[in-house]
Amino acid sequence: MMDFEDQLRRALERKEPSPDFAARVVARATRPRRWMRWFNPRVWASAGMAASLLVGALGLEMERRQRARQQGEVARAQLIQAMQITSTQLDKIQKKVQGALR
Amino acid sequence: MAEKAPDAFDAAVREHQAMVYSIAYHFLQDPSAAEELAQEVFLELYRHWHEMQSQQHRLFWLRQVASRRCIDQARRRKLRRHVSLEEAAEPFTWMPAADPVLKRYIEQLLGKLDEQPRLIVILRYQEGMEPAEIADLLEMPVATVKSHLQRSLALLRRKVSLAAPKETS
Repeated sequence: MMDFEDQLRRALERKEPSPDFAARVVARATRPRRWMRWFNPRVWASAGMAASLLVGALGLEMERRQRARQQGEVARAQLIQAMQITSTQLDKIQKKVQGALR
Repeated sequence: MAEKAPDAFDAAVREHQAMVYSIAYHFLQDPSAAEELAQEVFLELYRHWHEMQSQQHRLFWLRQVASRRCIDQARRRKLRRHVSLEEAAEPFTWMPAADPVLKRYIEQLLGKLDEQPRLIVILRYQEGMEPAEIADLLEMPVATVKSHLQRSLALLRRKVSLAAPKETS
């Protein structure tokens, strides 16, 4: 009869894992981790380009609004001046009419 | 050990996969859980690749990490261990000619040992390690390893002999 320790050795013989075990382990080990994907230069280049475009578009829009506001202020000033001139002229005419009526 | 993965790592996985998987398989007695655990051990090896000083060191490291993870996993899962080895029932019939049956029976009995003795028996009879080497690996006194081995062997032997039919002449 076989020695009990030999029986134990036979019962505990090494077994192989599934055939693709090593390939799966290597694939998992060499796959970049999620946080490492953020260090990809392409990701950063794309993000930088997108940020530049956004800042540029915002700058252009602010400049357009600034110019529109300045034009509005100029037009308002011109309107006020025109109204003042008209008012002065009207005063003069009124005084002449009153003088003629006396 | 300066060479960098994945080629050297791939070779290391292929060289040691049976050892790591078998420690986990014999300990957990669940093929898919054993593969998952073995994968985690090798992923940890990949992270510590540059710390490996020699092939001997790598072998020791793999056995140690596999053993620790087995113990951790068993503690988490409690391994569905409903009965202790002392309380385990013998099979109804014994088929001496069918060696795989005996092999499976011994595996089942092994699964009923407590975590540390089970691991010690696996390292002794699967890996052929000496008690002093096991003590070094598991960071425990040699005397403890020897007493676990003696007690576990006696229990297993008694269970197997009780299950076997009495010789009739």
